[in-house]
Amino acid sequence: MAKKATLALAIGIMLAAAYAVFAAKGWQWKAALFPLAIGIPLFFLAAIEVAWAFAAKEAAEEPVPNSALPWAWMIGFLALIVLLGFPIAVAVFVFVYLKVQGKEGWLFSIVLTAAVWGAFYGLFDMMLHLPFPAGWLLEWLGLAA
Amino acid sequence: MLEALWEGLLLVLQWKAFGFMLLGIGLGFWVGLLPGLGGATTLALMLPFIYTMQPVEAFAFLLGMHAVVATTGDITSVLFGLPGEATSAATVVDGYAMTKKGEAGRALGAALASSLVGAIVGAVALAAAIPVVRPLVLTFGSPELFMLAIVGLAFIASLSGEGARGMVRGFIAAGLGLLLATVGQDPQAGVARFTFDTLYLWQGLDLVPVLVGIFAIPEIIDLFVRGNSIAGNAPPGKVAKGAWEGVKDTYRHFWLTIRCSLIGTFIGIMPGLGGSVAQWMAYGHAAQSAKTPEERKQFGQGDVRGVLGPGAANNSKEGGSLIPTVAFGVPGSTSMAILLGGFLLLGLVPGPDMLTKHVAVTYSMVWTIVIANVITVAVCFLFLDRLASITEVKGHRLIPVILVLVFIGSYTSNSHYADLLVTLVFGGVGYLMVRAGWARAPFVLGLVLGKIAENYLYISTARYEAAWLARPVVMVLIAVAIAVVVYPFFQTRWRKRHG
Repeated sequence: MAKKATLALAIGIMLAAAYAVFAAKGWQWKAALFPLAIGIPLFFLAAIEVAWAFAAKEAAEEPVPNSALPWAWMIGFLALIVLLGFPIAVAVFVFVYLKVQGKEGWLFSIVLTAAVWGAFYGLFDMMLHLPFPAGWLLEWLGLAA
Repeated sequence: MLEALWEGLLLVLQWKAFGFMLLGIGLGFWVGLLPGLGGATTLALMLPFIYTMQPVEAFAFLLGMHAVVATTGDITSVLFGLPGEATSAATVVDGYAMTKKGEAGRALGAALASSLVGAIVGAVALAAAIPVVRPLVLTFGSPELFMLAIVGLAFIASLSGEGARGMVRGFIAAGLGLLLATVGQDPQAGVARFTFDTLYLWQGLDLVPVLVGIFAIPEIIDLFVRGNSIAGNAPPGKVAKGAWEGVKDTYRHFWLTIRCSLIGTFIGIMPGLGGSVAQWMAYGHAAQSAKTPEERKQFGQGDVRGVLGPGAANNSKEGGSLIPTVAFGVPGSTSMAILLGGFLLLGLVPGPDMLTKHVAVTYSMVWTIVIANVITVAVCFLFLDRLASITEVKGHRLIPVILVLVFIGSYTSNSHYADLLVTLVFGGVGYLMVRAGWARAPFVLGLVLGKIAENYLYISTARYEAAWLARPVVMVLIAVAIAVVVYPFFQTRWRKRHG
């Protein structure tokens, strides 16, 4: 995994640096100076790292646990926030995570969800009046306050 | 001077000023703990409340609040790997690694004790430096400030990996950070760079969502797949103990703590470099203090010196950045710019008057920094063991709470859903970097320094063309940058030759 991760990073950075140099060529020198000064050496350094990664024989690595599930939970939480808005998404996510992933009891899940939601609402909404818009789904259904 | 110092102390200890300071400390305590709620934002929010206050009361309130934000920001960094403040990110690297080894109490003790030492050093520097700082600030023009940024990057990049390959990776990470700092509207020509026709990217990548993503997301994934608590399989009872061990560590490495405090003060004095830079410079210095390559490998794995350095620099920079703010009306950071607004609201004009007519008010600021930090550290120590015990809570109970903090912290920086996407994207980059064994510090320092470095490079080139490279301080700083890069190779060679 270390070799694959290194290759993914180094190739990604090589491509990003190449794009940066290519895009900067069309700008005035004031705007292009810094991206060119950074992008050109960065491209070559990343190319060296790619060559190094291909050439190096790495020792047998420990198996890497599958990280798909935590990514799925995080992307799901992001989707909930966008669709339902923060106030509803926080309560739904915390409760569902505790019940489904944590396999916690009903009482514990409800109490912790209420505590997290209360802290979130009391601090960020009531005290600091931070703007948390209703989610896209609620707006689409005409349920946004 | 002593008389004015004494008068300043008496002013702060007046019941009304002291009461406002306690109120400020209470607010700053929570602002520091909660990710995303920045110290500068809170200062701006509190500014309207000082209209009716006397200058000493207003500064006791504002500075009391601001002085403790960095101290409590370290607590979230150590316990959850989630930077409470952008200025607490460097503490994550070794602080959270110590927590995973079951040494949360020790890491917190070290962070708090070094914060206190740093705050005192910064305050002493503020008291002592005001009359002599003018020539130092005037020596550093744009070329010198640009080179200072390069020295900082060289420091971190050269120390972030073993051997030539580690150094190349360090420079790649730093370069990526610098390149990403150019996203957004260019300040010189107004060109929209790498914005892909999206309005969100016009103002550039905000530091908070990137930092939260790159540090917190990989740790959340790690906690998820391990399936146990943050402290893992550390022996029961060990986690909560050790706060005093952390305090002792501060005195075991006392001179390192003092040196890092001085680095923080110096960076604070330099206008425009900012607090996020000070912590990484101090981290780089702490890593360089390792005597052998084996010792250096411990950095990032939970070396207490990696906590002491940033902890000290974070707090000492406050005193440092107050120096140009008070003496010349030139704010060293965003927070100081807002504080400058406070000066003007109260009818005070920074400059010579603050060193003559209002010198007692100036010294009351020195005392506020010291007293606010002493109170915060004392209060934290009362709850330290309980705070450290959080790391023994099962991971599946903590993860939803941490994720709520991660997403709210990111969202509050711009109140834009795209902040959440940026957090996840950089969470992916951070995850790959952890898996590949690349250090994240150079990337973050590159991102922090990018805009500053570009601005100074442009001014230097436009003003002096290539002649800025021949300025004496610039030449010294170039030599320092080269020495920093080649030093590890010479050190290894020398050790091989001498067995």
